[in-house]
Amino acid sequence: MAATAVKRFGRGLWPMLLLFALLLVSLSFMSDATHNSERFGRMYSWLLLTNAAGLLILLGLIGRNLYWLIRQVRAGAPGARLTSRMVWMFVILAVAPVSVVYYFSLQFLQRGIDTWFDVEIENSLESALELSQSAFDVRMRDRLRTTEQLAGELTEVPSPLAPLSLFDLRVRSGAVELTLLSHNGRIIASSGLESTSIVPDRPGDAVLLQLRRGASYVGLDPSGDGGLHIRAVVPVPLATPTSEQRILQALYPIPERLSAQADEVQAAYARYRELAYLRKPLKYSYTLTLSVVLVLSLLSAVWAGFYAARKLVAPIRNIAEGTRAVADGDYSRRLPSTSDDELGFLVRSFNMMTRRLAMARDHARRSQLEVEGQRTYLETLLGSLSSGVISLSPDQRIRTVNTAAETILGIPLKRSAGEPLQALVTAHPFLEPLQEAIERHREAAGGPHWTDQLSLFGPNGRQVLICRGARLPGDGVRPGGQVLVLDDVTALIQAQRDAAWGEVARRLAHEIKNPLTPIQLSAERLRRKYLAGMEASEGEVLDRATHTIIHQVESMKEMVNAFSDYARAPQLELRPLALNELVAEIAELYRGMHPNVELELALDPAEPWIEADPNRLRQLLHNLIKNAHEAIGTEQSGQIRLETRCRVEDDIPYAELWVCDNGPGFRAEVSEQLFEPYVTTKTKGTGLGLAIVKKIVEEHGGQLQAGNRDDGGAYVRVQLRQVHRPQTAP
Amino acid sequence: MTLCVDPLRTRLPGWLLLGWLALTATPAQAFDIESIHPHWDRDVLRLDARLDFSLTQEARTALENGVPLVLLLQIEVLEPRDYLWDKVVARLRQRYRLSYHALSERYIVQRLNTGVRTSFPSLEGALYSLGRVEALPVLDRSLLQPGHQYYGLLRISLDTEALPTPLRVWAYVSADWRLSSDWHPWPLQP
Repeated sequence: MAATAVKRFGRGLWPMLLLFALLLVSLSFMSDATHNSERFGRMYSWLLLTNAAGLLILLGLIGRNLYWLIRQVRAGAPGARLTSRMVWMFVILAVAPVSVVYYFSLQFLQRGIDTWFDVEIENSLESALELSQSAFDVRMRDRLRTTEQLAGELTEVPSPLAPLSLFDLRVRSGAVELTLLSHNGRIIASSGLESTSIVPDRPGDAVLLQLRRGASYVGLDPSGDGGLHIRAVVPVPLATPTSEQRILQALYPIPERLSAQADEVQAAYARYRELAYLRKPLKYSYTLTLSVVLVLSLLSAVWAGFYAARKLVAPIRNIAEGTRAVADGDYSRRLPSTSDDELGFLVRSFNMMTRRLAMARDHARRSQLEVEGQRTYLETLLGSLSSGVISLSPDQRIRTVNTAAETILGIPLKRSAGEPLQALVTAHPFLEPLQEAIERHREAAGGPHWTDQLSLFGPNGRQVLICRGARLPGDGVRPGGQVLVLDDVTALIQAQRDAAWGEVARRLAHEIKNPLTPIQLSAERLRRKYLAGMEASEGEVLDRATHTIIHQVESMKEMVNAFSDYARAPQLELRPLALNELVAEIAELYRGMHPNVELELALDPAEPWIEADPNRLRQLLHNLIKNAHEAIGTEQSGQIRLETRCRVEDDIPYAELWVCDNGPGFRAEVSEQLFEPYVTTKTKGTGLGLAIVKKIVEEHGGQLQAGNRDDGGAYVRVQLRQVHRPQTAP
Repeated sequence: MTLCVDPLRTRLPGWLLLGWLALTATPAQAFDIESIHPHWDRDVLRLDARLDFSLTQEARTALENGVPLVLLLQIEVLEPRDYLWDKVVARLRQRYRLSYHALSERYIVQRLNTGVRTSFPSLEGALYSLGRVEALPVLDRSLLQPGHQYYGLLRISLDTEALPTPLRVWAYVSADWRLSSDWHPWPLQP
């Protein structure tokens, strides 16, 4: 948190403002220093350096910003182009006026400094200096003469006595100091006012050199304490040619008023000359200061441009990024809202928009999930229905199909979802009655619901379907489709029919069987009682008649027994059974019974086992073989083939029993009702053979199919569930 | 005479600027040191030296126009060290103010360390006088440790920091104003 604060502070406005303020203060000091103010004069170099450092920092900052901006533009970051445009704008806006001001300031500065200097002032100052000098010249010549007189008086004075004479002479002449020196500059004697320094002022080497050449010296000397005095140095005339050469130096004061005036003239002149000389450097340093100000302002403006542009563009960039995120489907993005202006309003609006979008999306997702849930529920519901359900779109395309519908119709309907019903019917022509029914009821327009019973002959054999149709409500614009509910009532009808037949058989057996025995017994009694007493011709009639009665009653009994067999529902005694063994055993019974029929066995080596009641199964085989025998007849030779096969259907192992013959086969008109009682093509027989077979197969939960073979003759196929061979089986 | 230890601090910006400019321009070797003669006067080390202050034309013009020049004589006594830089034992700085007095047409030399003013009728005389250093006391023997090796350095230069402010900027960049000698070594026998 603290680190973030420091970072934010480092990036923020305040340190920059602080830097600007420091630079400004430094600049103002520098400007003061250029005026030669003593206090800032010494700091000038420091200030220059500080400003240069400040400018470097600014340059670095701008460089960093520029680098950042260029990278952003290259990377195509949102808002980068806008930022660069704004920076350009700011820079141009800043540079133009500042440059104009700079140019005119420079002109003004140059001219302003030039106006300080005037030829007339210079001339008058020089004249004033010359006037002062000439004023001093007169006085100096006067003093020189005086000094020469003093030197003349000293000619006869020997060096040891000089101090006394010097004091006397000094007082008389009004000099400040009189010094007698030897020719090499050594002080012999000196006399001065008490107020002057103890050490007498020696003339310079140059003066001594001049005197050695024999010339006197007089000059205006700036004295040690800053004032002026007249220095006169003259040789002391020689008393004798051999005596030592001596020098007299006299220092004369200048009246205070004159001295002050001379100082003023000197100071003014010196000041003016210095200024005039410094004119060029002064211009340079002002120009430098001005340039530093200009560069500082420009760089500040550029930096401020960067800063402002970034500040201004930041929300726009955020919005651009946010919009991109929204376009990519990310509604979770929230933008930081900082300002209260229009941009802030925009940011808040954006946030509200994304929030609502996210809500709408979540809502849509929930609805979709709900719909999907309902759909799954519906599918589960439909899947668990035993009735087949098919829904059709208004343009007769298949929309929804449940598993039961597939099972009932025996074709993979789900694969055809979305296809037109017509295509399905073309592929599976047995569905034509269904389509006809749909068309009929669609055109009939007799209310939204209809029910029809259809008879189809498909892969599952002949089926009777109850088809209920309902028109779906449209959405107001388009008509709705249809929904069909199919129920396979084949088994139901069959069961009803079987039940009816069973009832008939039971009643027949009961009602008919009872009188049969008295009829038979009566016929036999008639025969026994009257045949012996009758004549041969009459007896023959009686014999034949009673014989016929007995015979017919016998066959009627058989028929009734057959009926009662059919009607009876015996308790099944199921146990594991080797199908091959059973078939072989039965075949052995029939072998040789009919010499014209050849019995052929083809048993599956896999030896399928089934769970069945062996007696019922024997009857089944008897019936089938008998049926085949009867179909072949006794006149012509034939062939019966018994076959067992193992077969796996839908991962369920089945054992199949095929009974094939090469007889005339089933006639087409009965092929649909082969297994119903009293359907027979044969001249004799109860017509219950195959019906009983069917009953037995159904009792065992198997399937039965019969038909004509392609190479002539008929076939019957019995399909039973295969079981594992029992471990304890013999 | 005082021994003054001069902190570089006050002169640092000038040096920084000079250092920067030294990379771009070759300095004019206007000042030179002809001879240095150190000798012991009892326990005080004194120095005689002959120095050549030859001013450039630019400096002469400035002087004649009333701009005072401050000349600097720097003396250092150092003790060599194997590690780091050599240790400064004593540092002496003499400043001379050279100016022109227009009224008397004389050149005035003021020794800023003592305040003594001397005037000369010619510039050459003034510079000659400045160039003769006689028995300048440098340090007391007590500052030196017996058995140690020492050596001295001497340098003369124009103090650009003492120039008028407008001229100073000019002096930083112009070779005419970079008046200075090298650091001249001299032997020191304790």
